Amino acid sequence: MTLSSSSGGPDAAGARAAAISVASRARASGWFRSQTARRLSFGYLLLAPAVLYVLLLVGAPFVFSLYLSLSDANVGDPVATFVGLGNFRAALESDVFYIALQNSIVFTVVGAIFKGLLGTTLAFLLLQPFWGRKFVRGLVVIPFTLPISISVLSWKWMYDSQFSVINWFLSRIGLVGSYGSPDWPVWLGQPHLALAACIIVNVWRTFPFSAIVLLAGFTSVPPEILDAARVDGTSFMQRFRFVVVPMIAPILLIGFLFDTVFTLSDLSIVYLLTQGGPANATKILPVLAYQVGIQAGALGRGAAISLFLFPLLMPLMILLLRNLRRREY
Amino acid sequence: MAGPRTHRQKEIRRHLWIYGLITPYIIIAVFPIYWMAITAFKQDPDLYRMDVFPLWFHLAPTWKHFSYLFTDTNYGAWIINTMVIAAWVAVITLLAAVPAGYALARLRIPGAENLGIAIFMTYLVPAIILFLPLARVVSMLGLQDSWWALVLVYPTITIPFCTWLLMGFFKTVPVEMEEAARVDGCGYLGALVRVVLPVSIPGILTAVIFAFTLSMQDFLYGLAFVAPGDQKPVTVGVPTELIRGDVFFWGSLMAAALMVGLPVAILYNFFLDRFIQGITGGAGK
Repeated sequence: MTLSSSSGGPDAAGARAAAISVASRARASGWFRSQTARRLSFGYLLLAPAVLYVLLLVGAPFVFSLYLSLSDANVGDPVATFVGLGNFRAALESDVFYIALQNSIVFTVVGAIFKGLLGTTLAFLLLQPFWGRKFVRGLVVIPFTLPISISVLSWKWMYDSQFSVINWFLSRIGLVGSYGSPDWPVWLGQPHLALAACIIVNVWRTFPFSAIVLLAGFTSVPPEILDAARVDGTSFMQRFRFVVVPMIAPILLIGFLFDTVFTLSDLSIVYLLTQGGPANATKILPVLAYQVGIQAGALGRGAAISLFLFPLLMPLMILLLRNLRRREY
Repeated sequence: MAGPRTHRQKEIRRHLWIYGLITPYIIIAVFPIYWMAITAFKQDPDLYRMDVFPLWFHLAPTWKHFSYLFTDTNYGAWIINTMVIAAWVAVITLLAAVPAGYALARLRIPGAENLGIAIFMTYLVPAIILFLPLARVVSMLGLQDSWWALVLVYPTITIPFCTWLLMGFFKTVPVEMEEAARVDGCGYLGALVRVVLPVSIPGILTAVIFAFTLSMQDFLYGLAFVAPGDQKPVTVGVPTELIRGDVFFWGSLMAAALMVGLPVAILYNFFLDRFIQGITGGAGK
């Protein structure tokens, strides 16, 4: 087709040369296209195992949990019938659900405030150059690196009703009386103390994480940019406000969202310390979902309860997604 | 002479300030581990008394609680279970995450960035939402009551994280190396296996470590899917099997916790920065 236009040349040799070049270009683009196809099919082949695993064992179960929550599925009885929104209605009509929801929110919000405070102050200390900093850093991150179910055990022992080392210390400095006196705190046995005890363990476990994320944020700000800003005659506060904060904000937000998702959905601390007691004082949604779904065997109702976490988590995840994308480009 | 001396004094004072301020954090962070350790080595009569300073020994330290774990409980079996589970999880994770990470980083797949983020986001779907439907999946496959259930479900945590981590890692491998290999007649697979993988050993090792440490952080799946005492991983066996009724044997409990916790914490410590880089999206940049 292009041959006819190029054959308008003065001699046949020119036309032949043009024809050859067109043909080889066509061959080249065919070669290129097949290379692309080969590259892409190889790529999709490599992606397949990971994508399939995640689709089959995260995607499908998620859809399945929606289905479960609409059925009366039970551990003993494999034949489930559709009950519509009955499970959700049952949850919303039970007092314990509201207690669990409230406790979950208190647990997450109060915990976030304290780990934010401890984490920020620790990060500023670790930002200073000093002798042995690496070692100190290694020590303070231990709570975050210990397997959670293991470290909770140590706390359970520290909260022991009789031999609590915390109480030994408190009574030694005179804040509480001796064992048996009315102001002897029974950490896991008194409602308000029990919730506080669970929050303390959560804060203890994750404040190093807050500090390290903040530290990663600070060290990601290139010193040249700060120098440039200094040369431009900005004050320390201006540099902090207009250079440091905008640069580390996405990292901080990502760290915060991560922690919130894990704190909201974590079962192990409360389950191992109090099982939700005394008198539901520490019952949070994950514990309730586990107790209803597995211990009582009401899969459908358990699924409905755990799905109530989703509207709480969803906005956080969307924010996180947007921030990750912004960081990528 | 005066100049450097005042400078040195200033430095010393600054250090004292920092150490003074940071000591409370160190105590808060480390005390529960110290308490774990001292409890593990105390004799029972030394453990249950409030009249003496509890942070040190008043009777000779003992190995009794440790030997009890191995002679009278399933502790040894739990450790082996955990190791075998971690090995399988690492293998499955690598088989899925290495190719996926490479494809997303290098093969110019349309929408690769978004696909990578989508896979990573599944790391954030919490276990508490998935465990009930997964309980059904596990029992359909006949895996309930054995640790194979955990080999099946732990990769749902590790594959998304490690794919993301390796994607960042593969981006740092120079493209020229692959191009050179392809000019020399390697196909895409040849370039991956012969050129990219050998230089990616550190990244792959990191992924193995995370397959191990992230599965150690799980409690819910192990609790929900594995009931028989001798099938549990150690992180579930210790808190559920060593506490019987209302009786806590704190000496052996803390010994069990210490033996698992310390090695994992130390190992994780070395890779913590990679973890933080990974989740904040700057993986390998």
